Amino acid sequence: MLNKNTAIKIILKNINGPIISANGHISRNLYNIKDFDSNFYMIGSMGLASSIGLGVALKNRNKKIFVLDGDGNILMNLGSLTTIGTLKPQNLVHFVLDNESHESTGGQPTHSNKIQVEKIAQVSNYTVFKIKKVSELEIILEKIKTIKNPIMILIKISGKSQIGKRIEIKPEEIKKRFSENLKN
Amino acid sequence: MNNENQKQMCNFLLDNGIENLIGVPDSTLKHFIAEGLKLKKNIIATREEEAIGIGTGMTLSNSPTIIYMQNAGFANSISTITSLVKLYKIPLLFIIGWRGYLKNDAPEHELVGKIQPKLLKLINLESRVVTDTNWRNNSIWALKKIKQQTPCALIVRRMNVE
Repeated sequence: MLNKNTAIKIILKNINGPIISANGHISRNLYNIKDFDSNFYMIGSMGLASSIGLGVALKNRNKKIFVLDGDGNILMNLGSLTTIGTLKPQNLVHFVLDNESHESTGGQPTHSNKIQVEKIAQVSNYTVFKIKKVSELEIILEKIKTIKNPIMILIKISGKSQIGKRIEIKPEEIKKRFSENLKN
Repeated sequence: MNNENQKQMCNFLLDNGIENLIGVPDSTLKHFIAEGLKLKKNIIATREEEAIGIGTGMTLSNSPTIIYMQNAGFANSISTITSLVKLYKIPLLFIIGWRGYLKNDAPEHELVGKIQPKLLKLINLESRVVTDTNWRNNSIWALKKIKQQTPCALIVRRMNVE
């Protein structure tokens, strides 16, 4: 099974564009692997990364927008799937790093070991891919370049990953540089 | 606020820089929301925090946005306002319908309606109450606030209970 850091590294190697990352370890892992001005680290407001991503996607139709979400996060905001599926942005790619647990708070289980989140996305008009291996992820990241529909790539990852330091950039600075970068 | 003034306020805000309305419907604001839908500027979210998330994404894209909701939904949103809107200084303009302002409103609005002004103060979200006579001046105040990168709220009281 993939671990989270490997999955994020492969994603970064194969995509180019703004990323909105979920709070907790996901934002921290992303920050420690590679910090870009185009990364929006959502450090609070659990659940809302996909909603922020939707707002950015609707206003930047010529750019692919990427959301780096977790299973705990999306389960807190399942309504977001129905709003995204109703508005159908063609440029939103929604990754769910699914370790079936709330890793950042001590590894407590989520419902995603019983309920398949990608199936909820599928009936909400997403184009859905489920990934378990590195080779599959690389192929899908190439394939999505031509798909004009909201996309969910759910990646099953192992429970725990190494965690780096906290994000040291001030939230207002994260906002400013992300916003400036979108103008390019 | 009456039907006509709600429509006028919606048009005034859209004519003066607002590009999107996002929220969860509230009967106190129904004419305002209907006008936004008619003009195709309105997205209805599944809950208030989701609306704030979408509006944050649009604001990050330099597209000024109004988030509308009932005060019950505002109470739902406190954590999102503190840990996203205030923390990152996202200049959203909130329009909040105030149920529980009248003593004889429905019982579910009583307690949250009573503490509504205190909640706004506690989280330090600047606000003004808008009426049929002051909506234009207070809209100008709110537009100025968000231009200065400060989130703020306009509150619409529920003045009649059916």
